[in-house]
Formats: sequence, C-alpha cells, structure tokens
Amino acid sequence: MARLEQIQELPGHGDRAWSVAWSPTGTTLASCSGDKTVRICFDATTSVWEIQGGVWEQVAVLEGHENEVKAVAWSPLGTHVATCGRDKTVWIWEAEPGHEFECLDVKHGHSQDVKMLAWHPGGQVLVSCSYDDSIKMWVDDGDEWTCQQTLSGGGGGHDSTVWGLAFSGDGWRMVSCSDDLTLRIWSCPVGSGSPRWRLLTTIAGYHERTIFSVDWSRAGSIVTGSGDNSIRIFDEAIVPEGASSEASNSDPASPSSSFRMVVNHADAHSSDVNCVRWHPLDPTLLASASDDGSVKLWRYHP
Amino acid sequence: MDDLINPAPKLYSRKTTVRDKIQPASLDAGDREPIDALEVFEHIRDITDPEHPYSLEQLNVVSEELITVNDQSGRVRLNFTPTVAHCSMATLIGLSLRVKLMRSLPPRFKVDIYITPGAHSTEAAINKQLNDKERVAAALENPNLLEMVNKSLTSCHQ
Repeated sequence: MARLEQIQELPGHGDRAWSVAWSPTGTTLASCSGDKTVRICFDATTSVWEIQGGVWEQVAVLEGHENEVKAVAWSPLGTHVATCGRDKTVWIWEAEPGHEFECLDVKHGHSQDVKMLAWHPGGQVLVSCSYDDSIKMWVDDGDEWTCQQTLSGGGGGHDSTVWGLAFSGDGWRMVSCSDDLTLRIWSCPVGSGSPRWRLLTTIAGYHERTIFSVDWSRAGSIVTGSGDNSIRIFDEAIVPEGASSEASNSDPASPSSSFRMVVNHADAHSSDVNCVRWHPLDPTLLASASDDGSVKLWRYHP
Repeated sequence: MDDLINPAPKLYSRKTTVRDKIQPASLDAGDREPIDALEVFEHIRDITDPEHPYSLEQLNVVSEELITVNDQSGRVRLNFTPTVAHCSMATLIGLSLRVKLMRSLPPRFKVDIYITPGAHSTEAAINKQLNDKERVAAALENPNLLEMVNKSLTSCHQ
C-alpha cells in the first residue's frame, strides 16, 4: 500500500508559507512566506540571489510589476527569467552577464491576476495560468513573445481559477490544478505543424477544496496540495495491451489514459497546503508548504 | 452628502436568540463545547453596515438561518444578503465578515462566504473574489481598505 511518511518539519516562518522550491540538484530548498523573510511574494519587485562564499547575496532586483509578484521561474538553461503578478501581466527577462537582466517583453494576455508560471522542459515555451480560468502558452517568434494557444472555456478548460501547473518529465504532457476541484491532464501529440495542446483527461471527485499546487515527478507520480489540508498522489494506471484497443477512444494521438489516487494523506498540515514540490532527482522525496507556517519533507513509499 | 446606494433600507429588530440545544449534562468540565451557527452569528450580527449606522442584523444582511457549521470538520459556510442587488458595498461587507471570523474563530475553521443566491447582480464575481485567499490577503494589505473593514467591525451597539 502506497503511503506518505513525514520525515521532517521545518518551522521558522512566522506566517503562512506560500511556496517552496528545490535547487536543480536538490541540495537546497528555498521557501517564502507572508512574513516577508524572502521578499519574493508580496512585493512588486523580484530579487535575484547568488551564493557567494557561503552566503546568499542579493545581486539584482527586477522592477516593473505594478504590485505583488506571484510567481517567478528560471528557464531550464538559466538564460531567461519569467515573472507574473496581480497586475495581470507576464514579464520575460533575459539574463545577461554581470547580473544584468533585460526585459524582453511584457504580455497583457490575461484579463485577471496571473497565479503561476512554468517553463516547458525544452525551454521554448512558457506557460501561465490565471484567476481568469485560462492557461496560456507563450513562445518567442523572433520579434516578440506571442500567445500560441489558450486553454480555456469549451475546449476542456477549467471552470475557475487555475492555481498551478507542471510538466511531465518528457515534456509531452502537462497537468493543471484549479479552484474547480479538478486536475486536468493535457497532451501535445507529436505531429506536423505547430504543437497543439489538448485535454487528455480530467481527474475529479477527490478534492474537497481548492487545489493550490500540483507537481509531476520524474517517476510519473502527480502530487497535489489542497485547501482541505491534504496531500494526494496519483499514478497512471497501466492499461493492458488488449484493453486499450477496446476503449472507445481509438485516436492514436491520445492513447487512453487513466490516473488513480494511490495516496490520500489527510491532515498533512493543520491548514491549507499551498505548495508541493518533488525533489528534482529523488522521486520519493517531497516538500510541502502550508498556511500553518511550516515546511515539511515527506518520503513517498510507492 | 454622497448619494446613498440604498437611501432608505428596511430595518429589522435585533432578535433575542436562544440556544435551543440543551447541552448534555454528562459533558465533562474539560470538554469543549462545539461551535454552532448561533455562536458564529453572535460574532457577526453587530458588524456595522458600511453605508448606514445600523448593524448587519438590523438590515437583515446576515441571519442565523443562513449559517451552517460543521464543528467536527471545522467548516463554516455563510450566505449574506445585500439590501439591494446592485450594492457596490457587497465585497466590502463580505470582506468584513471574513476578517471578523478570521479573528474570532479557532484557526482550524475554514470559512466559505457567499452572496445569498439571486441577491446580487454580480454574485459569481463577488463570491470568487471573497473566497480567493490571495485576493483577500492583498486587500488587507491596502491600508484604506483595512481601515474601512476595521471601522465596520467596531460595533454600532457599543
């Protein structure tokens, strides 16, 4: 029976912990909180930090957003930084030598606050999600960053605020989580022309309150953090060879896919779980951040 | 004086409430009394309306019947009824309700606040905003808004 075991609780924040992030090698874990101890969340600026002689020094401040910055993401190769905020905009910055950051573009495509950003593992596509219930895919077309696709409304989009998203390790699929209490899995079939994302499946009926965060491990497990204080893990059910051909979905571009919940860890925190992040290298190690002010480390026993 | 949104609101009298549930005699002294709808109502009935010197109870914006509580799971759900369907103060009233309950109830309680269905022209938008915790946190960082909320929370009966 799969389970989740708490291995450590990291207190230290005097207020709700909004977010956690692993460094690429997983040796460092950063968290930010409403107590403003890392000033990323509730400020119109974005600070860039570098470790210099064992101490983290602030080496640049990215200014431009009108009010609070909600999320920031480095591109996979570290060449770009993207930020988004309550001012409904997405900013794309280029990292230049000497801690210089040049703003390449400011996108006004969302009609409400932009909650979160993620880079596609290939580094070519930036994805944003918003209080306006939509997900937007941004690509660099040479002159500017343009919205290549919007996932919203009748095409299988979410019915309320989209709080988070994550890509599968191979980059061909994406999962999004929402205030509508569902997870949606999107796939980008290989084919000619520009890639188009489409809804593969919806995972509904498991969460009692808003799903604030989702992450996809290298081993293929999807973890969620929710306003019902729980952490849940979903694995993809293996569809037997013969069974798939009998399924009504015979489109070869979207093979039948079904996810099932393998862990439902109720009361993982004593308040809303705001962020869940798998360790980048170890797919059994998980970090979570909560409104209860704590950051916890978990061991997943599949 | 500015034009009022609802110049002549209908007034209701302050109700005498009784706890009709008789607490079991076997309740040990150390046991916690469960929180019920009446207790939640007592916290919010005397919040002052942003526009009139009356309480939300007197304007029938809140009432005990529109509150449901599940003490065991720590859930509170309440509806409130703006006096007019185009009331521009509805978001502020909802924010005041949320702040009052945030300050009064134990932190394990999760509170959902909604406009009474059909009672407002932009019901869905207001409900979404009142139940988005980032929006609420941002609103409370606005000193003017916080001052208005705190003013509402100063009971008009004191």
